[in-house]
Order: sequence, then C-alpha cells, then structure tokens
Amino acid sequence: MLKTLIDAFALISTWEVIIAMFAASVYGLVIGSLPGLSATMATALLVPVTFYLSPIAAIATIVAASSMAIFSGDIPGALLRIPGTPASAAYADEAYAMTRKGQAELALGAGVWFSAVGGIAGVLSLMILAPPLAEIALSFSTFEYFWLALLGLMCATLVARSSPVKAIAGMFIGLLVACIGIENPGGVPRFTFGLTDLFGGIEPIPALVGVFAVAQVMRAMLTPEPPPLPRRKFGSIMAGQWKLTKLYHWQMTRGNIVGIIIGVLPGAGADMAAWVSYAMSKRFSKEPEKFGTGHVEGLVEAGASNNASIASGWVPSLLFGIPGDTIAAIAIGVLYMKGLNPGPTLFTEKASSMYAIYLMFIIANIMMIPLGIAMIRVAAYILLAPRSAIMPIIMLCCAVGSFAIGNNMFGVVTVAAFGVIGYVMEANGYPVAAMVLGIVMGTMVEQAFVTSLIKSDGSILPFFERPVAAILAAMAIGALLWPVMVWVWRKVKPAQPAAATSR
Amino acid sequence: MRLPDSVTGSFLVVLGAAAAYGGWILPPVPGQPVGPNVFPLVIGCGLALCGLAIVFGIGHSFEEEEALVPMEDGQAAAPPPQGKLYGLRALLPPALLLFYVVAADRLGFIITAAIMVYVTSTALGARWKLALPLAALSPFAIHLIFGKLLRVPLPAGLLPAPW
Repeated sequence: MLKTLIDAFALISTWEVIIAMFAASVYGLVIGSLPGLSATMATALLVPVTFYLSPIAAIATIVAASSMAIFSGDIPGALLRIPGTPASAAYADEAYAMTRKGQAELALGAGVWFSAVGGIAGVLSLMILAPPLAEIALSFSTFEYFWLALLGLMCATLVARSSPVKAIAGMFIGLLVACIGIENPGGVPRFTFGLTDLFGGIEPIPALVGVFAVAQVMRAMLTPEPPPLPRRKFGSIMAGQWKLTKLYHWQMTRGNIVGIIIGVLPGAGADMAAWVSYAMSKRFSKEPEKFGTGHVEGLVEAGASNNASIASGWVPSLLFGIPGDTIAAIAIGVLYMKGLNPGPTLFTEKASSMYAIYLMFIIANIMMIPLGIAMIRVAAYILLAPRSAIMPIIMLCCAVGSFAIGNNMFGVVTVAAFGVIGYVMEANGYPVAAMVLGIVMGTMVEQAFVTSLIKSDGSILPFFERPVAAILAAMAIGALLWPVMVWVWRKVKPAQPAAATSR
Repeated sequence: MRLPDSVTGSFLVVLGAAAAYGGWILPPVPGQPVGPNVFPLVIGCGLALCGLAIVFGIGHSFEEEEALVPMEDGQAAAPPPQGKLYGLRALLPPALLLFYVVAADRLGFIITAAIMVYVTSTALGARWKLALPLAALSPFAIHLIFGKLLRVPLPAGLLPAPW
C-alpha cells in the first residue's frame, strides 16, 4: 500500500505531468468561463493533445480541465446570468441575484470553495468505493456485465430531462452507430456500405467532438451574442467562506453525497447533480422564501454537488468501462488508447496508476482555489473576447484534432456528420448524452449479449440464474418500466398537477 | 430546426426497420446460433418501436420546455431575423469542415484554415477588422501547436508553414 502510494507520487511528480496539469487547468478555466463552451467540449477538444502525452499526463489533463471547467462556469453565471457550462445553469439566477445585491465576491468565493470541497469529497468516494466494488466485479461473468451495461443505459434515459422514449431512441441510435464496422462477433463488414473508411467503425472521440463542439458552433450561428461583462473591482473572495462552511456544513455534506450518487449513475453528470441539489436545498431549507433573491445556501449545496459528481463519475468508468457522465465517456476513450483498459483488474495490476489518478484529482481541486481566484479577477478581460473570435478557433481545433486521431480525413467527415446529428437531435428534444453513451458502450453491450447468448445456447434462463445477475436484471427491467408506470399513474390520476410528478 | 414529432418518429421507424433488415441479411457464422446479425436486429426493432411511440406522442408529457432566461432591464436581445434561409446558416460549420476535407490537400493547411476562420468569424458578425487578422494569424498558431509541437502531419499544399 505504502509502496504503491510512493510509486504513484513518482508517477505524477514529473515535469510533463506538472506542466500538463497546470496548462490544462488554465485551459479548463478559460473554456468553462466562456458561455456556450461546456466542460464536456473542453475535454473532447483536449483528446487529440493527449495522444502525444504519457498515459498519466494524458489523464492529468482531463482531470484538471474538467474539474476547473465545472467551477469556472459559475463565473459568467454570477456576473452575467449566463451559465458558462450547463452545470452552473441551476443556480445562475441565484448567483446573479447575489451580484445585484453587491455580494458577487461571496457568490464567486462560494463557487470556488465549495467546488474544491466537493471535488475532494468526490475523490474520497472514488477511493473508498472503487476497490471493494472491484473485488465484487472480479467474479462477474458476461451475464452480469450485460445487465450492468443495460442498467447503465437505462439510467441514462431515466435521468434525461426529456421524454424517456426519445432518450431510449437516442440510446438506440448510439448503439446502432457502434454496430458499424467489422469488429463484431462474426468479423464481417456490417453497415459499411462498401466504404473502407467505415471498416474500423466510427471512432467515439470524433463523434463526441462533433456532437459537443461542432453542434455548439452551429447553434451559435443562430443565437444572438451574449452581452459583454461589465468590469468591476472585487473585494476579498475567500472572506466569509469558512463561516459559510460552518453555517451550512450539513447542506454541503448533503450536496456532496447527492453529487457522488448522481455522478456514479451512468449518463447523469454535473448538470443533473446541480439541478437536483439546488432543488433539494430549497425543499429542505429553513428559509425557502429567500431562494431566488440572492441567498447563498443553494449555491453552497449545488456547488458542492456538481464538482463531487465529476470524480465519482470515474467509479463506473474505471471499474466497468461504463461512463458515469459524458466527460467520463471521453476519459474512457483515452484510457483505452493509453493501455489502461477499464476493468476490475486495473485496481490490482495498475494500482499505482489508480493512486496517481486519485492524487491528481486531489491536487487539481487544491489548485482550483488559487487559480480560481486568479481567474475570477481576470474574467472580465477574458470575457471581452467576442464569440466571433472564439468559435472559428474551435472550428479549426475540431478539424485538426479529428484529423490527428487517425491521421486521415475521414475523422473530419465524422466530426461534421455528428455535428449535424447532434444539432438536429438536440433541437428536437432527443438527449445527445444518451446517444453518446450508446456509442461508447455499444461494443461492450454487444459482446456481453452475444457471448451470453452463445454460452446459454440461445436460452434466456441463464440470464437470470446467477444471484447478482438476477438482481441487476430486476433493476434494469424496473428502470425500463418506470416511465411506463409513471405514465399510467398520470393517466389514472389526471387531477394531479403535472409539476408534482415531474421529479 | 424543430421538426414535428411525427416526422422524427417516422424517420426513426424507417431507420430501425432498415437496420433490422440490414442485420437480418448478414451471413450467419457457421456452426454458431448467434452471430453479427442478432444485435442490429434487436436494436433495429427497438428503434422502430420507439419511433412508433414518438409518432403517437407517448411520453411527450415528460418533456420540459426549455425555459429561456429573459434579459434584465428591458435590454432584451432583438429576435433574430427569421427568414427562410436564416436557418441554413447552422449548416455552415459542417459545410466548412467538408470544405476542409476536400481542399486541405490541394491548398494546404494554412490557406484552408484561413478561409474557414474568415468565413466562420464573418458569419458570427465580426467586422473585417477582426476577421482578417484572425484569419491571418490563427492558422499559424494552430499549426505551431499541432503541426510543430504535436507532429500532426498537416498538409503543406501551396503555402507551407515557415518552420
């Protein structure tokens, strides 16, 4: 144990890792603070760069950039009422109300401080939860993996803030995309339409870049430019944070726990965590009437929650290759490329790498405090950059980055195609996160499904025979039937106002 | 590009049916009951069912209309012009990416990238005072990072980078 820890320290105390982390932190802070550029997009655009780094440095950039971006999304939320990332949308109104009351320092300080605390709580959950779960997972057979993957996919559809039918459809589209190529049980070209470029299948990373980055540029083409940030002087940012911690320690803990749970659930990430925690904070608050008028309590809980979900999203990713959120989906792609294939054995064979990941998360969250304060102070200048200067650069990065993944132009075509797909889906209420999950998990789901079917000789019964498999099956089927039950319930009781039942 | 549910749903039905059929006609693996054909079949059927459900409006009641945040102090942004061609602007980014695919090898990275940057920037409302310097400088910056530091083989074409 001690030796692994020392090894882990040795792994991360190289100049490459330190520089990579610092640069990625600054990058994450800047991208996160620009309205319209999300944390997922920041991570997706980082991937081509990670090719050229060592495995640990590659993961360091993702860890640092994603943690920072989730925090810095609070900055334009508080100052402009425009959330920098979707994860800050839940409490942007509240934070802006505080700014109007002259408490911008307190709102932003709470953002930094409780984000850092939340992030560290998330890492602790990763450290505590992952090893025992890995123990259990070692005895899993393909039946369990099949149900687990299905459960993950179903969770993603349950938590989507849209129609569950559309979410399931989105998931199926993703799985269908994963069918393309010759990497299937028969090794025959499937849905390749005679194009050799499709033989290798659709790479998840260009697809993700298209869905999250190109689609965003497409949306920017049709939306008006956000107003520039008014310049202002800030007082002390961290003053009063310790008092808040003592006053709202219970809210903070609850936010951490909710964030961890939502992070672990596949498909649900930081934005969902923030919405749920903000709603919970209001529901259980002693003074709910103050919410919406610039009250810091909800900020504390939601800020603690969204950053906690970032780290805990790595739990299912590292253990099963099932992404906890869209950022983790990208991380899985990088893990595979770097030879750290997700799975329970990762915790025994590559234990020092795992410890290195924990350490990097902790360091990133500590670094967030000074860097975050610096970012708040210079935000006014960064936010002066007009969208018409940023979006073209994003476009170039999309083109070059997707080309770099395989050094062929087909990657660029993939990015363009998925930009259109992502844009159309989003515009019509189909959640793209569900499709992303389908693409990332497709091969694994099919392998588990077909291998199980071959083992069981076409019979369905063995899918339920093993105890763990039966439990997972019950949960997955329950998740599938849940929207149906809610729907029936609403039909039976039409008098019930819709707001009461919708989450 | 908000389409009625009946259109997207019907499209999914067709896509699902095509996937199921495409899976169906795949050759089975000899001596093995399940092969590459099963998974597309299952997914295609599922997708078609979802499409049907969407056409008939099942689950529509779950959808939350996205709350647009209104601006404070009456400084509401003017509603964007809603001409017929306005919606097509959204297709500009993917079109530019395809242009990159076609043109990069012949024109070279620097020139293609400069055109992309200029067009995107102007489309987003930049004046030439911003768009021109941006188009002139950013391709070199990107080339420096990706081509020089990360050794991505970017095409040289007509105008090779100076390093």
